[in-house]
Amino acid sequence: MSEKPHIVKSYEEQLQLLKDTIVKMGTGVEKQLENTIQSLVKKDISLAEKSIKDDELTDKYEINIEEQVVNLIALRQPMAIDLRETVVALKVSSDLERIGDLAKNISKRLTKIGTDLPNDITKNFEIAGLKASKQVNAVLNSYLHRAKDTAENVWNSDEEIDQMTNSNMEAAVKHLEKNKNDIQKVTQLLFMLKNIERIGDHATNIAEQVYFLITGDYLEGDRPKG
Amino acid sequence: MSKIKAENVNVYYGSKQALFDVSIDIAEKEVTALIGPSGCGKSTFLRCLNRMNDVIDICRVEGSIKMDNLELNSRKLDVVRLRENVGMVFQKPNPFPKTIYENVAYGPTIHGIAQSKEEMDQIVEISLKKAALWNEVKDRLDEIGTGLSGGQQQRLCIARAISVSPEVILMDEPCSALDPIATAQIEELIDDLKKEVTIVIVTHSMSQAARVSQKTGFFHLGKLIEFGPTDKIFKNPDNQQTQDYITGRFG
Repeated sequence: MSEKPHIVKSYEEQLQLLKDTIVKMGTGVEKQLENTIQSLVKKDISLAEKSIKDDELTDKYEINIEEQVVNLIALRQPMAIDLRETVVALKVSSDLERIGDLAKNISKRLTKIGTDLPNDITKNFEIAGLKASKQVNAVLNSYLHRAKDTAENVWNSDEEIDQMTNSNMEAAVKHLEKNKNDIQKVTQLLFMLKNIERIGDHATNIAEQVYFLITGDYLEGDRPKG
Repeated sequence: MSKIKAENVNVYYGSKQALFDVSIDIAEKEVTALIGPSGCGKSTFLRCLNRMNDVIDICRVEGSIKMDNLELNSRKLDVVRLRENVGMVFQKPNPFPKTIYENVAYGPTIHGIAQSKEEMDQIVEISLKKAALWNEVKDRLDEIGTGLSGGQQQRLCIARAISVSPEVILMDEPCSALDPIATAQIEELIDDLKKEVTIVIVTHSMSQAARVSQKTGFFHLGKLIEFGPTDKIFKNPDNQQTQDYITGRFG
């Protein structure tokens, strides 16, 4: 349904502000994730440090969105599409905050072990990381443009990240068997790989919320998993 | 199970048509809310259910409205009997300028329901208890009903309506003149009454419709635009006009 503006302008403005804040938070989280991945790709630890620092802003956005949502529920009693808009904002902000946290966590591990890492594993990490970044970007676009099909595509393609994670973990263990001295670095890398997989899961959660926001229905069936 | 089944109801005030082909199934022992902007026909429809439109000379009702297979829109229908079975509560509390006791005893008296003083006392007490008013008035039943607070007066009107054991109660904006506490008491009462009675409520308060009803019908310009489970109407209505109205985008 295409929506007319509300009769009460201030209500319209409050809902618009909520949507804008989600988009801003999402853009910030995307940048955080990008800096984290690029830190490894470009072997530039300052990017990881920036990602860690930027997580503070992500956390502030989450609190701000929660306040906006509580105010809307208390003062406007939103209904139908407005209710979904409000509830979905709360849930999406929570998933975004987790993505920010996971990016920060990867960055912290990077600052600990440095960027001089076994190439075979970092290559896998980069590929999975870029795929997760694409998923986050796509799901944020689906929110911004109310694109149900894009949300469904994100939901369906998380399987690829799951499969990548499984094979990357196996490869990391195999590397370790041959290079026992790398144990500290590889252990950290295993956590980093797992974090990428979790980021994919949060993008999928957001996809479910976007689908609910647009249709009022829940995505049915079991999500494809690798 | 359906208690009232309206089919293709058209209502005219003189040459002006107020309702257009309204068809609706009102479920037994449930609360059905009718919402919509002023002049949309929801009260006109409500009044069809106990033939209150008969008192308007220029009003003409066409179509079928059946309650338990009894055609309410038949000329042969005993309207007094119908109104015993289908009670009504209005926007503004309208107790008679009589005592609290007499207000409640009025219906049973004119319909000859009570056989003795004791029986009447019992009907009055049960009705006031069901209307959640007994504890507040039991020691002053001989005081005048119009001396009660607004919320109490409205509960007295509900007690008066239920004193003749109706199967259906129609409520036309029953809380619009009441404060939030009195409104909550009426809403609690509606919740309680629906165990025994079918309730149809017209309300401008969408949050009230959402709180008290199981089914909601949205009227606009004399047409029933959408009718369905209340949670569906308020969470994800099918019709754009319904959504525009409940989200405040109308106009």
